Amino acid sequence: MHGSLDNLCARLEQVLGAGSVRRDPLSLKEHSVDGQAPSLICVPADAEQLGAALRIASEMEVAVIPWGGGTSMRLGNPPRAFDLALALERLNRVVEHDDVSLTATVQAGTKIAALQETLGRARQFLALDPPHPAHATVGGLVAANQSGPRRMAYGGVRDQVIGMKMILADGTPIKAGGKVVKNVAGYDLCKLFVGALGTLGIITEVTFKMAPIPESAATVLAQGSVGECLGFVSELLRSRLLPAEVAILNADAFEATGMATDTAAVAIWTEGFTEGVERHLRDIGRMAQGVGMAPEILRDRPHQHLWEKIRDFGAGENLFVYRLTVPLAAVARVLMTAERKDFLAAPLAALAFAGTGTIRLVTKPDAAPAAIFPKLLSLANEHGGHAVMEAGPPALKGAFDVWGPSPSTLSIMRELKRRFDPRGMLNPGRFLGNL
Amino acid sequence: MAPVRQPDAGASSAFVQLTETRRFAYAQGRFKFFASGLFSFSARFVKPMSRQDLIDELKEIVGDRYVLSAKEDVIVYEQDASILQAMPEIVALPADVQQVSAVVKAARRSGVPIVPRGSGTGLAGGAVPAEGGIVLSLARLDRILKIDLANRVAVVEPGVINLDITKAVAAQGFFYAPDPSSQAACSIGGNVANNSGGPHTLAYGVTTNHVLGVEVVLSDGEIVWLGAMVPDAPGYDLCGAFVGSEGTLGIVTKVAVRLMAQREAVSTLLAVFDDMDGATRTVVDITAAGIIPAALELMDQLSIEAVERGAPVGYPRDAAAVLLVEIEGVTEHTQRAMNLASALCARNGAREVKKAKDDHERELLWKGRKGAFGALGTITPNYYVQDGVVPRSQLPRIMRTVADIGKRYGLRIANVFHAGDGNLHPNILFDLRHPGELERVIEAGAAILRACVDAGGSITGEHGIGLEKKAYIGLLFNDQDLEAMARLRQSFDPERRLNPAKIFPSPAGCGELRVGPARMPAGLWI
Repeated sequence: MHGSLDNLCARLEQVLGAGSVRRDPLSLKEHSVDGQAPSLICVPADAEQLGAALRIASEMEVAVIPWGGGTSMRLGNPPRAFDLALALERLNRVVEHDDVSLTATVQAGTKIAALQETLGRARQFLALDPPHPAHATVGGLVAANQSGPRRMAYGGVRDQVIGMKMILADGTPIKAGGKVVKNVAGYDLCKLFVGALGTLGIITEVTFKMAPIPESAATVLAQGSVGECLGFVSELLRSRLLPAEVAILNADAFEATGMATDTAAVAIWTEGFTEGVERHLRDIGRMAQGVGMAPEILRDRPHQHLWEKIRDFGAGENLFVYRLTVPLAAVARVLMTAERKDFLAAPLAALAFAGTGTIRLVTKPDAAPAAIFPKLLSLANEHGGHAVMEAGPPALKGAFDVWGPSPSTLSIMRELKRRFDPRGMLNPGRFLGNL
Repeated sequence: MAPVRQPDAGASSAFVQLTETRRFAYAQGRFKFFASGLFSFSARFVKPMSRQDLIDELKEIVGDRYVLSAKEDVIVYEQDASILQAMPEIVALPADVQQVSAVVKAARRSGVPIVPRGSGTGLAGGAVPAEGGIVLSLARLDRILKIDLANRVAVVEPGVINLDITKAVAAQGFFYAPDPSSQAACSIGGNVANNSGGPHTLAYGVTTNHVLGVEVVLSDGEIVWLGAMVPDAPGYDLCGAFVGSEGTLGIVTKVAVRLMAQREAVSTLLAVFDDMDGATRTVVDITAAGIIPAALELMDQLSIEAVERGAPVGYPRDAAAVLLVEIEGVTEHTQRAMNLASALCARNGAREVKKAKDDHERELLWKGRKGAFGALGTITPNYYVQDGVVPRSQLPRIMRTVADIGKRYGLRIANVFHAGDGNLHPNILFDLRHPGELERVIEAGAAILRACVDAGGSITGEHGIGLEKKAYIGLLFNDQDLEAMARLRQSFDPERRLNPAKIFPSPAGCGELRVGPARMPAGLWI
């Protein structure tokens, strides 16, 4: 940072008004990233103020971390520097819900739960389920690319974002995409910002596709060994049924849902018109019985409860969370390998979304990553996938790149970063290759 | 069926210099951007001295047969399915990725641009070599390299025809979802460049939602993979940024696409309306009711007339609109959704609702829709198709506006379009032999695009910006937005060597750019 903290504080307050800056120790501590607290928190009232703050930050070469609800802050490498937290909490409006067109434009600081409540009044919802929706924000969800369950039916973040407004590092406001579901005018810059962890610019507004709230929803839950679960799922995926999500939980993961047993389980979410849901429940139930499992049907609160637990999987303090993404057919082999006692020599909770190939593995804080992450990287790599360490205790994170080895396209990514954020002030060091 | 191209249109009289239309178009857009100098136009023709050297070098790379430079050979490559033409200087047809890379390196050494080309079915002039240089055809990279049904992925070369992917996996119960109406002719590489859509993208999404990764030759000849065989590759989503970049960021040499499992049931209905308003209101009501059909297609009276004159399928000629609704899923779902859709048609005044009882009837209902563009030739010598998008809620209003614009400019407009996506395809009918008519057509087209933007929409839903619409991109994006896009361009292609003069609002191209009637093989498009 060039200049003093007091100077930065004074300039921000001068342009944004008194009360737009916080520096009390408690707030600063609450905005820590990997144990590093910022020197200052700035809370702009709108996108224009956010732009003004970034202009000042850019002039003074201040290291900035955008802050939504703080629920994805464990993601990424430890920051190289952290002077200013830019909190988006006041950008919390639903700008427009065009329910007839099934689209909504939302400010980035809007909490997911609050958004779903607004949309629910028109019997619609945003088909993305990030952990901790009461705190998670729209901007954070997009920047951290947090899809959650039901991706099988609705697609991920990149499939549902149709437009965005962002502020670049120098304070320039830009937009990309639009409000329509089909649009090929110019480059699709939205794609670049989804999952970029705020390293190219700060998202201030997002337009999403909406989905109608289904008439009915329920879950088939079947318990058994991991092997039985995989056999069942493999048959299910070969059928013409269209579940909304298929989750496989090993015994440790299933136990974490509070449904204490010592077996693994498969949970299959089905939703839509009532007769379609009943058909799925019937056929899937029969399929489970066919492989010798005893399926139960969860509706209403038990159904919701189970999926909330699955959604928030791995969200505890100080745990290591690894995400492996592999081709569908490799899910079974990865899970079976993870079950082997000699593989990691550490207890492992595993949750796999079998329809999208996303597997999350959670180990306790005492399981040193140096012995685990390289094994997971090569396991994913062997099957043509990749692995990322999504969370870990800060003290143990700095030794390697949590995003795994850099791809051959790192030079292009570096060039992009250089052109969008020439001073490297946005989330410095946290992205892949320490960008 | 009448050919769309004028028989011996009298080369010089038919080719209208763009000057007038361009002046008009730019008046609607913004000029400021040009002043930035970022996209200042400069033709970079092959210098006569080095021309033969370059041709020799290219022949060395791809073989004598696969370098074209004589006028009678390259003329085939002067145009795509748009009305814009520019004669290529050299056409190269490499056979594999190594040759593509070598051609790109040779072009770089010679300082000439490269314009990649697939099947040439693009509607926005994206494959027209507006700044000269080498047209690089990917037609010979046409192999399906891998079909992996267990993982629901296929890896194909860019010259593979869209429909051939589905054909290769249909017997096993799979399909490739994006289905541009040109799918029997368009290439997957072109689909990637344009982020192509199609009638069945309403429920399934467009090309970008179905491409996991691409192998790309960069502007310096380097070969890299963007994305992977699985989603969420760590780092920036370069594959997502690449899809739809119209050949300006790199040349795609392999594509990993998702395959989807065929649905258990497909139900199709055709509803006949006496007024367009009733039809568009039905579209709005169906999506608002929470039904996401696989396809929701509309045709107006003029299009019905064309179909019934060309290849009759029994659409009532006095109807104002026919609406095709197709719903896919498990049987219980399609039945319920069909009943609801059918009731909504009736509520909005449909005078007839026909449900297909089997595949044969379903094909019959689609036949008119699929043949509509080809059939336009029976009611007009020429037509110009637009590609605006509006939020679905604005459909009834925009269709009234389109009709008004037709009246204002004294032009007939036939509408055949993806109503469920809010993606309009107004076809402005005209006769190139009438002096001044093309200018009016382009003005009317611009008026439609402006109306779409005013309604909160976009100037292109699936055809791309290319050369044709770059004068209008300023209606959607300001200088700062475009400058941000330029940062992406510069990160990939700092010398602006790949497909220059496209997307960004610089003057339309060199003096050699001409306008001529589109050469569309009848019956394929949109």
